[in-house]
Amino acid sequence: MKFLANGLAVPLRKTALFATVSGLGLTAASDDAGAQSIQVWSGYPELAPFYEHVAEGMADEYPDLEVTVEAINLRDHERRVALGLTSGEAAEVIELASALASRYLAAGLLNQAPDEVSEFVTNPENFSEFFLEGVTWDGEIYGVPLFRGQSALYYNTDMLAEAGLDGPPQTMEEFDTYAEQLTQRNEAGDPVVSGWTLRLSGGGAGIAEKFWINMFQHGEFPLVETSEGKWVSRLNTEAGRAALQQYLHNLYETETVTIDLPADAEAFEREQSAMLIRESWVIGDIAAKAPDLNYATATLPEGSIVSAVNLYISGDGEEEQAAWDFALAAQQPENLLWLLDNVGWLPNRAGLDYSEIVAAKPAFGAFVDYPEDYAFFTTPAIGPIEEVMARMASKLEQAFADPSLAGDDEAIGAFLQETDDEINALLDREGILGER
Amino acid sequence: MQRRRWLFSIVAILPVLAIFAYVRVFPIVEILRLSVHKWDILSVAKPFIGLANFRELMGDRLFHEALLNTSIIAFGVLAITVPLSMTLAALIYHRTRSRFAGFYETTVFIPHVVSLVPAAMAWKWIFDAQLGPLNALLSVFGVEPKAWLFDPVLSLVCVIVLCSWQALGYCVLIYLVGFKNLPNSLFEAAKLDGASGLQSFWNISVPMLKPITLYVSVITLVTSFNVYAQVYVLASDAQGAPGRQVRVLVLDMLENSFRNYRIGYAASEAVILLLIVLLLTLVQFRLLRERRSRA
Repeated sequence: MKFLANGLAVPLRKTALFATVSGLGLTAASDDAGAQSIQVWSGYPELAPFYEHVAEGMADEYPDLEVTVEAINLRDHERRVALGLTSGEAAEVIELASALASRYLAAGLLNQAPDEVSEFVTNPENFSEFFLEGVTWDGEIYGVPLFRGQSALYYNTDMLAEAGLDGPPQTMEEFDTYAEQLTQRNEAGDPVVSGWTLRLSGGGAGIAEKFWINMFQHGEFPLVETSEGKWVSRLNTEAGRAALQQYLHNLYETETVTIDLPADAEAFEREQSAMLIRESWVIGDIAAKAPDLNYATATLPEGSIVSAVNLYISGDGEEEQAAWDFALAAQQPENLLWLLDNVGWLPNRAGLDYSEIVAAKPAFGAFVDYPEDYAFFTTPAIGPIEEVMARMASKLEQAFADPSLAGDDEAIGAFLQETDDEINALLDREGILGER
Repeated sequence: MQRRRWLFSIVAILPVLAIFAYVRVFPIVEILRLSVHKWDILSVAKPFIGLANFRELMGDRLFHEALLNTSIIAFGVLAITVPLSMTLAALIYHRTRSRFAGFYETTVFIPHVVSLVPAAMAWKWIFDAQLGPLNALLSVFGVEPKAWLFDPVLSLVCVIVLCSWQALGYCVLIYLVGFKNLPNSLFEAAKLDGASGLQSFWNISVPMLKPITLYVSVITLVTSFNVYAQVYVLASDAQGAPGRQVRVLVLDMLENSFRNYRIGYAASEAVILLLIVLLLTLVQFRLLRERRSRA
């Protein structure tokens, strides 16, 4: 048995004429012609062991199938997908977010799912409408939903107890007061442990995505679909102003966080931050890097972003069939539970029994047990979404570095309006600007 | 006979010319062509849009930022590298009889051959506001810690320092070749006339090394205008340790090409970069010609 993941190799041979997948009657075509090889491209390095696990699980039935897993940084992954698909040199199995896949689907660069895969994906017992939409194009199925990014609050229970705080913050106002109480300072009064770590710098669209999550807790979403396929940027709203003001308040008024303090999951794991809003993969990361950290998770005040990631297939012939078999093998409940338990990303498939994992790792609770009125939103699947987010991130980075904006509602409004204008001009250029 | 020789020469260099045309000329022509088209890399259609991409560039905030940052970095690296490499080369040259001469040359050249990513990661640690040795050193002199990788101005300084550190070794090597080709008789005559070492350096070495200086300047500028990996690593998305993303032209082109799917637009940026590099090269030729005509 062999598997190729960053240099490791494991061949798997197909011996069965029809392979049953996940006990649902899904079948795979045969291959008597000997060794086959497929590549899996992922944008999440931590997922390499999962794909290896899936391939290992296929070993008995597919001893001659060689699976190569190349899991790299998301930004580089996006570039290689763009180049690979257009040049015909892409991997057979490609992991892509729904929002990003729309361009490739529109261009016909990803394969339509065969009947057995479509049946599996469209079965409402397997996937909700939300995830089904993410892999549907022109009424046809083009991918298999795999996992999702969903955010929750992580908080350091020791630090909250030391600060005399019972339980996590429930409102965005409480986030501010908690952050103040949790911030630890040196003799000069400068923060050395941030009360609440915020995404303030770095390349890519992450700054915008994190801002969207916070803005959503204030009640609104920055990109609004005004009519079918038409969108408008509405950052300069009450929620948008409140969200930016909250960043600036924490940065410059209460100084619970600074732009140069260690940030994100790494800071939380090193106890350099008391609170963090992040996806479920952090649980796996903590287990690996900071197993002694005392922490818990909680749902956010209003709801969470859901970024659905799916497996798509390119190529043709036997490799294509093997790739679809791989995508379906990944859907076996045992594999999906392994994904949650060992990597931490939430599977999209419905009907999985997480009770054992949640009992052993209560931190997953906030991701799978949420209030009935908990709202979800997702990044719109529009062509220029990456450019929208990158431009918004660039503007927000400017705002975070400008202390003069703090407390100045008028200046904040003007700044957000300027950002709206830039994003709306971009949407107009693409012909998808809605009525303002 | 003459004709056959001429034909043989043509045939002999034809394969080289063909390869050169394919790997050098064709991409440039293709970039020029794409810059006047709209293409999203995915579709077959590439409508001709004239100079629309260039017009949009004129009003693009991110392009302006990238162009300004890249120019500051390029000329900043030039301002540091050229005088410093000339001085270091002079010091090494005049110490060639020292048993440490090889050591000096190797030490200066090592940064040029060290792989960029680990080197940039090391510099990222040096510039770290909380744990970096640079702030620790400055605090000894009572200087407040600086957010090197986050401040809009200081983050540019960091890129300039990193690029200069890398470029220095190559420039020193070129200057050393230049120093070794200077006629000793001039220095001996100057010494007889009572000139000090510093005077000889300023009045003989510097003017005589002008062609070398021009070459080093252009190479440094052209290389620096193509800066990308350094800013990418210094502001990489590593969890917990990001930094301010210094937007440079190549980064902007890559984003427009493979994240925003605007190949034509990115090509128009590449054309602007090409024009800048061409202009700098023309300036070099012009200056060299002026020098020759005066000679």
